[in-house]
Amino acid sequence: MEEYLGVFIDETKEYLQQLNDTLLKIEEDPDNLELVNDAFRVLHTLKGMAGTMGFNRMAKLCHIMENVLDRARNGTLKISSDIMDRIFKGVDLISKALEKIVGEGSDEIEEDVDLFVDALKELTNAPQVRNEEKIGEVKSKGNEGVEETVERIVLPDEVANVLKRAKAEGYKTYYMKVILKEGTQLKSARIYLVLHRIEELKGEVVKTNPSIEEIEEEKFENEVEMFVIIREDKERLSEVLTSIADIDRVIIRDVEPVHEEKVAKIVEKPEIEKMKEEEKREKKKISSQTVRVDIEKLDTLMDLMGELVIARSRIVEVLKKYNIKEVDEGLTQLSRITLDLQNVVMKIRMVPIAFVFNRFPRMVRDLSKQLNKEINFVMKGEETELDRTFVEEIGEPILHLLRNAIDHGIESKEERIAKGKPPVGTVVLSARHEGNNVVIEVEDDGRGIDKEKVLRKAIEKGLVSEARAATLSDQEILNFLFVPGFSTREDVSEVSGRGVGLDVVKNVVESLNGSVSIESEKNRGTKVTIRLPLTLAIIQALLVKVSGFVYAIPIANVDTTLRVTKGEIQRVQDRKVIVIRGEVIPIRELWEILQVPHEATPETMEVVIVRVGNRKFGIVVDELLGQDDIVIKSLGKVFSDVREFSGAAILGDGSIALIVNVSGIV
Amino acid sequence: MVSSQEVEILSFLLGDQSMAFDVDSVEMVIERTEIRPVPKAKFFVEGVINLRGRVIPVVNLGKVLGINVEDRELKSIIVVKTKDVEVGFLVNRVWGVMRISESQVDHLSVSDKFGKKFKGLIKRDGNLTVYLNIEEIIEEITAKEGA
Repeated sequence: MEEYLGVFIDETKEYLQQLNDTLLKIEEDPDNLELVNDAFRVLHTLKGMAGTMGFNRMAKLCHIMENVLDRARNGTLKISSDIMDRIFKGVDLISKALEKIVGEGSDEIEEDVDLFVDALKELTNAPQVRNEEKIGEVKSKGNEGVEETVERIVLPDEVANVLKRAKAEGYKTYYMKVILKEGTQLKSARIYLVLHRIEELKGEVVKTNPSIEEIEEEKFENEVEMFVIIREDKERLSEVLTSIADIDRVIIRDVEPVHEEKVAKIVEKPEIEKMKEEEKREKKKISSQTVRVDIEKLDTLMDLMGELVIARSRIVEVLKKYNIKEVDEGLTQLSRITLDLQNVVMKIRMVPIAFVFNRFPRMVRDLSKQLNKEINFVMKGEETELDRTFVEEIGEPILHLLRNAIDHGIESKEERIAKGKPPVGTVVLSARHEGNNVVIEVEDDGRGIDKEKVLRKAIEKGLVSEARAATLSDQEILNFLFVPGFSTREDVSEVSGRGVGLDVVKNVVESLNGSVSIESEKNRGTKVTIRLPLTLAIIQALLVKVSGFVYAIPIANVDTTLRVTKGEIQRVQDRKVIVIRGEVIPIRELWEILQVPHEATPETMEVVIVRVGNRKFGIVVDELLGQDDIVIKSLGKVFSDVREFSGAAILGDGSIALIVNVSGIV
Repeated sequence: MVSSQEVEILSFLLGDQSMAFDVDSVEMVIERTEIRPVPKAKFFVEGVINLRGRVIPVVNLGKVLGINVEDRELKSIIVVKTKDVEVGFLVNRVWGVMRISESQVDHLSVSDKFGKKFKGLIKRDGNLTVYLNIEEIIEEITAKEGA
């Protein structure tokens, strides 16, 4: 069973997510029986899977919750918020059990499962309903029509002989067709379980189609046919088998072991079943369009892609020297193919941001309950895709921002009413593409950030002198919030601690080559914007030279390049600026920023205008070398305190360019 | 087979002193190649090299240990790899891997100069080799400033 554990874990995670989503919807609309039904089905599947894998505690948890939902859909139980809380608690317990399984291979959790089960039983306070049996009944009834229409089935000779003998000894002989649910993952395991159950009932499987070997290798679609010798009757058999997870239907028919009339008696499938199967085939087409791929393979592919880009640059470099006309066409083609390939690989790595977002509704629900605030939580643009490297990293920062918004941002109901605002606070989490960036925003309509207070605190902490404080723009004041340990709240709350965290958010986002900015207006709300590049691995960069060494500036940050003479540089309050079309842009020499040796500033110089958030900034360099695709390599822990660079790249000639972290130098 | 009393070390020359690391974490030894300087890095970091398509930091071990060594004397790079760090150390030259028994290591002597980076002294054929604690050295070079 171990080989199935990975699939089991993945599937269970997906089901838990689905369950959380559905339960949240039920909470909004408790009378919607369809939703209750959905949740019931998910729990039922989970129970079956856990049972198959031998995780009995998990199965037990699912079972009791399934019962509650079953009674709800029968109308014998009204779903109260109390019951919802318990069910959510149950989902958490299942999640915990899953974590334990991932870590230790056992679903033994610290919490007392029995205690939870008893409590839930007591709450619903009614006799238990045996769900599996009911389903079994329904199923077998549904199949009755089919069974009666079929009498004879083609038998291979050897099977016919065995069946004949068995019949003589008083056994019943059946033809069985086990149909698995669409998209079932552990197919062999399920069929194995079917065979096992039959054995438990002292039955014997004479022949299967496909063969046992093929079943073991999962070389079959969703159906397996078999001949069974057993003393139990059809109903009992059907009941036992349909209780196995992911078994859609079991069709059982009597077979008479006769050889003659083989060909003539091929049984016509009833019309309805035929239609169903066609429908299924349609469905299969859709479901087989995606595959699960090992992440490691994907990473290797990306690495190879990187090597390819470097190798191509190297060839181009060498050929430049010789200026051979004949290779131009081939080279152009190679470049185009590499670029296409690169885009495809990049797209493979892209996943919808829903993977990050989907855990937030539940978290917001719990948090707003805990803080006794009513929150209207809106998510937009969940389908926006981003590099999967970000998915693992960006969750925590967003979580932080949401906590801040709910805890610090949104006022209490009374306060909101007093201010003339709608009593329910709104928090919007959105994502969208903007050029080569993914933009994620967390916006609330709460009390906003008190800039006076921030400024006072900044002066108190010695971050700014009082004289200078008066000249700061709103944006500059808000930027103090990103300073480690900066907090404006006097009281410490359980939820978001001391309000530290914005510095953590900034750190994480910048380590991903992104930027974060904040806007706020008193009593109107706060908006925090995170900008991330589309992908981390390969970027377009402008290569520049300073003091004989090559540096790369990400194109995403570059606004324009221009040449200026010494005379065009002006000084404003000790800072060098240039004026372009009436716009005053501060400039600095890169060698000065990086403190590398350099000759006197030349008469004319190359300036790269970069953009950070909504500010522009000029970087003076010695030489512009042109644009190239570069593969970003991390500089590693030894350089963890170098903020000026976000990584390094190997160029076509094997030399190394350092990638300038634009937001780290301005 | 290395018995429990024996350890394998990589010994090398730094300045005029023989030194050694445990060999377990040593990935390879290479000739010194062109080092790309990284501005604003810590004082003992010489820069980065292109090691078969990977970008590896190169650290001047002499500077880490506070030993003055002529730069042109540093001709080899020992590449060390631990679970999350890969780093090259500049040394004069590498002697090779050798097997020593615990009894040859004097753990009692302490070094004021090297502190925790010092593991002991190896006495062998009348020569003294400084036995360095590579884990501690990596710990120190990756530590955040002021942390």
